[in-house]
Amino acid sequence: MTLADYLPLALMGILAAGFVAVSLVASRLFSPNRPTPEKLAPYECGIIPETEATQRFPVKFYLVAMLFVIFDVEIVFLFAWATRWLELGWYGIAAAGLFTLFVLETLVYVWKRGALDWNVKTSGPLPA
Amino acid sequence: MQIDWLAIAPEIVVAVTILGVLAADLVLPRPLKYWTATLAVVGLTLAVVPLILMAASSVETRSLFEGSYVVDDFALVLKGLFLIAGYLVVLMSVSYIESDRYYQGEYYLLLLSSVLGSLVIASARDLIVLFIGVELTTGPLFMLAGWRKGDIRSNEASLKFFILGVLSTAILLWGMAMLYGVSGEVRFDQIRSALADPSPAAQPLVGLAILFVLVGFAFKVSAVPFHFWAPDTYEGAPTPVTAYLSVSSKAAGFVALFVTVYVALRDRVDIWGPGLWALAALSMTIGNLAALRQSNIVRLLAYSSIAQAGFMLVPFAAASVAGEQLAEGLAATVVYLVIYALMNLGAFAVVIQGARRTGTGDIDGWAGLGRIDPRLGVLAAVFFFSLAGIPPLAGWFAKFVMFRAAIAAGSAAATSLAVIAAINAVIALYYYARVAKVVWFDEAPAGAEPATEPPAASLALTLGIAAVATVVVGVFPAVFAVFGEATRVLLASG
Amino acid sequence: MTVTAGWYMTLAALLFGVGLVGIFLRRNALVMFMCIELMLNAVNLTFVAAGRAIGDLEGQVAVFFVLVVAAAEVVVGLAIIVAVFRQRASASVDELAELKG
Repeated sequence: MTLADYLPLALMGILAAGFVAVSLVASRLFSPNRPTPEKLAPYECGIIPETEATQRFPVKFYLVAMLFVIFDVEIVFLFAWATRWLELGWYGIAAAGLFTLFVLETLVYVWKRGALDWNVKTSGPLPA
Repeated sequence: MQIDWLAIAPEIVVAVTILGVLAADLVLPRPLKYWTATLAVVGLTLAVVPLILMAASSVETRSLFEGSYVVDDFALVLKGLFLIAGYLVVLMSVSYIESDRYYQGEYYLLLLSSVLGSLVIASARDLIVLFIGVELTTGPLFMLAGWRKGDIRSNEASLKFFILGVLSTAILLWGMAMLYGVSGEVRFDQIRSALADPSPAAQPLVGLAILFVLVGFAFKVSAVPFHFWAPDTYEGAPTPVTAYLSVSSKAAGFVALFVTVYVALRDRVDIWGPGLWALAALSMTIGNLAALRQSNIVRLLAYSSIAQAGFMLVPFAAASVAGEQLAEGLAATVVYLVIYALMNLGAFAVVIQGARRTGTGDIDGWAGLGRIDPRLGVLAAVFFFSLAGIPPLAGWFAKFVMFRAAIAAGSAAATSLAVIAAINAVIALYYYARVAKVVWFDEAPAGAEPATEPPAASLALTLGIAAVATVVVGVFPAVFAVFGEATRVLLASG
Repeated sequence: MTVTAGWYMTLAALLFGVGLVGIFLRRNALVMFMCIELMLNAVNLTFVAAGRAIGDLEGQVAVFFVLVVAAAEVVVGLAIIVAVFRQRASASVDELAELKG
């Protein structure tokens, strides 16, 4: 694929960006600006919002997300091994096994320390 | 696949210890958690055994994984240093961490992981292995710096360290990626031969790649002008962690830097030599000038460790701007590094005990400590005078080796660096001596009673080992000269 | 004109630049953190593009390790930010100024 083939895409991008810029500037220039409390509210009709949308989530979401990211990404090494496991032979199996052992032990650790229990209050130090 | 198991035995022992500590932390009831520390000490001690076996064996260089992982005498000396430093920091931590009452097992787990990372760095002769080593060394330290979770200062230390640490990783990696791009290799020896005559078009890229690698490592070793995270992190982190940061993690960063520039980029010394020169001169001068103004003992040691990093770089930087005697310069730098590690750990052990005695980290609050607790006062004088480079303590030999190598390099730039170092050595004497003066000659505050309670046994052991090493090396530097020669000979062949 | 590795590397350099500028301009720890992730991904792109251009697999191997390390760093970073937030209820680095001198 030559770079010239990307020309329509680039034109499209420029057009889109240009449209956004022109409409923003035009509305700023030509529209009258008379704010009222109703207009400034997030919704002009419907339920009046009581709190900010950016409220605090329980920290457990973070915890689960973190654990997921770690255990999810670690598996990438096994993919590399799996594509060539026959050629790597017993050495490869031992290495992959050792790696899995490390990951498993941390999983057991996390589990036993209660990080996977959803209904436990986790403020303060984890139970030791 | 043929593997020399003895060569990676230290790493395996430490890794198994890590698994053991994690399991022990899970099963031990809280009053018995201190066994995790015992386990860590045993593991680090066992890991020294294969090092001794390798040092005694006739095989000089063991090369694994097609040359990506090499155990030569250079690696052996530094692995020994990392294990001993790790050992001393674990001992230092025992009583400190126990008083915090939580997460003991995880503390030693993270510390051991960091030690494992530095062991990997000493042997890495490959961009990827080196990267893994560097990350394994610094990653756990982000968490250790924030160990006192309830203390906002510890949190701040951790966050600053983390953001700048990861930023430096990204910069370093960018340099590595460019090196890979221009050379097409990840192994250091192959990079070196590929860079021997690159196409003229690639020349600017090579320069840029080396610049990024230098900046990345300069962050890691907190060399001026990339040092600003260090004093804050050092002050906020728990003191044993600070000791580890200023000794092992700094040493690991230096080793990674030296291996990269010396093995992979040796032919482009014209690019990185002046960079090292500037880092050395700036670190010494700015570190020392800032240390003069400090009233907190930990911040003083933080700036002093920045200045010491500058001194450490002097021989190697002088040799590289002169473009000759690179191996001698590197050997002198490694000798300085080892001696600095021992005396600085001792100084931090004194700080831990002194802060416990006086209840403050303010230098002025330590007035008359020598009379309240004479043994601690003597040790404080020993370590701080050694850091200043006063004979007959180990520090003078480090400075002597440094000046000898810098002058031997011979060029005008090298000599001017030696002159800057000499001026800075005098400035440093002032603030190190000030601590000794406050401890011995200032009046103790009224109502201070002579200490009766001895320090915790583990801390006393740390102080003892560091003090004996500092005095013995200072009186019989020949012990060390042998060490340095070994480094020189083997690096010259490598 | 074909799309060569050079173009990918230019794109990676731009991404890296955006991340670097972001770190120095933004003051929210989470956003700074995202900028760093952007830089790391720029590095990944460089490794892959270079490996592809040379016809060598090691670039992709490097990306494996960078990915995993980046994930580990995300976790450490989030944990630290959560710890700070519990003390301060803010993730702005400017408000963290206990340590000075």
